[in-house]
Amino acid sequence: MNPLSAIRHVDAAALQPLRAPKPALEARAAQTIPLEELEKVALEFNLNPVAKPELAASPFANTLAQMVNEVGAKQSAASNAVNGLLSGQSVPLHQAMIAMEEASVSFQLMVEVRNRLLDSYQELMRMQV
Amino acid sequence: MIDMLPGIDCTTSALTAERIRLDVISQNIANANTTRNIDGKPYQRQQVTFETALRRQETGDGGGALTHTVKVAHVENDQRPPVLVYNPAHPDADHAGMVAMPAINLSEEMADLIVASRVFEANLAVVKNSRSMTIQTLSIGKRS
Amino acid sequence: MIDALFNEPNYLAAKKLMDATALRQEAIASNLANLETPHYQRVDVAPSFTTELSQALATQSPFQIGSVQARLEVDTTAVAQNKDGNTVDLETELMEENKNVLAHALEAQLITGSLLRLRLAITGRSA
Repeated sequence: MNPLSAIRHVDAAALQPLRAPKPALEARAAQTIPLEELEKVALEFNLNPVAKPELAASPFANTLAQMVNEVGAKQSAASNAVNGLLSGQSVPLHQAMIAMEEASVSFQLMVEVRNRLLDSYQELMRMQV
Repeated sequence: MIDMLPGIDCTTSALTAERIRLDVISQNIANANTTRNIDGKPYQRQQVTFETALRRQETGDGGGALTHTVKVAHVENDQRPPVLVYNPAHPDADHAGMVAMPAINLSEEMADLIVASRVFEANLAVVKNSRSMTIQTLSIGKRS
Repeated sequence: MIDALFNEPNYLAAKKLMDATALRQEAIASNLANLETPHYQRVDVAPSFTTELSQALATQSPFQIGSVQARLEVDTTAVAQNKDGNTVDLETELMEENKNVLAHALEAQLITGSLLRLRLAITGRSA
């Protein structure tokens, strides 16, 4: 049986418009609210009265940005340790070596995440519509 | 300088100081029978005293100056008077036939020599171990 | 989130132990250099370090382990062997030196193992 046969012919008259609002509501709706009151309400609820509608930043983008910052922090910590070692301030050698290795591992993680993201993006693009 | 070997300044100072001590001991032994020194008197035994000195490097914990290098405070003449020995045939014998010999006891000097050598070798072992520890530290995180 | 990679208690404890081992090497160098110096007092890593670290390790909290610091202290339990007041004993120092070299090797192995395991988890390849 053709499922499409379940769609019966719809009568144009059956498509009734929505019922009109009651007269009292209608009268009330006709009054305009002054701008000052609107602004007061906006301030009360901490809304921006002239805000453009924009999409909320995606939580995943935040996560990625945070990861990049942390990897940068690890790299600068390693760089500081090596600087201290080379300039003769008493930075123990093992601390400089471990800082360098941790920075390298963090960087490797970030590169791997980037590679996986790119791969999944390309896979998505390859999908036929 | 890059501080890669921990405590190396202590150890090098000790090696220098012990070498000076060994030099003094061997000089004592060599002059055990010198009855006439440059100033005409018998050779006077010499003795080395050590003292601690401030390090140029700090320890890794940045803490107080608890570790020290060592240096020779002074090489001074011993206060022992010369030993009088009866030997009338000796060219430096006085009218009573007594010769003033340096107050050097060979077995005491040999014992000092052995102790100084042991300290020297112990410090060499510390350098060797520091070196192998540093080489191991440099390969942290590397695949074997 | 990157810091969470390196917050494993055993790894943090191995790093702290290596700090202590490096300090102990300096202490032993100073002690053996001053073996013949009058009135020199033997120096070592503070004995409270070991107790603090094992307590912190028992709590398994990365913050606790990270707050333990190794430092050098004059060893008050050493007695002067001769009348010049020097408290360093050659055999004791050489024994400590041997133990220190082995401890360093162990800590280097533990740290390298943790880092290589992380790399294996990230890349899926061991090289």
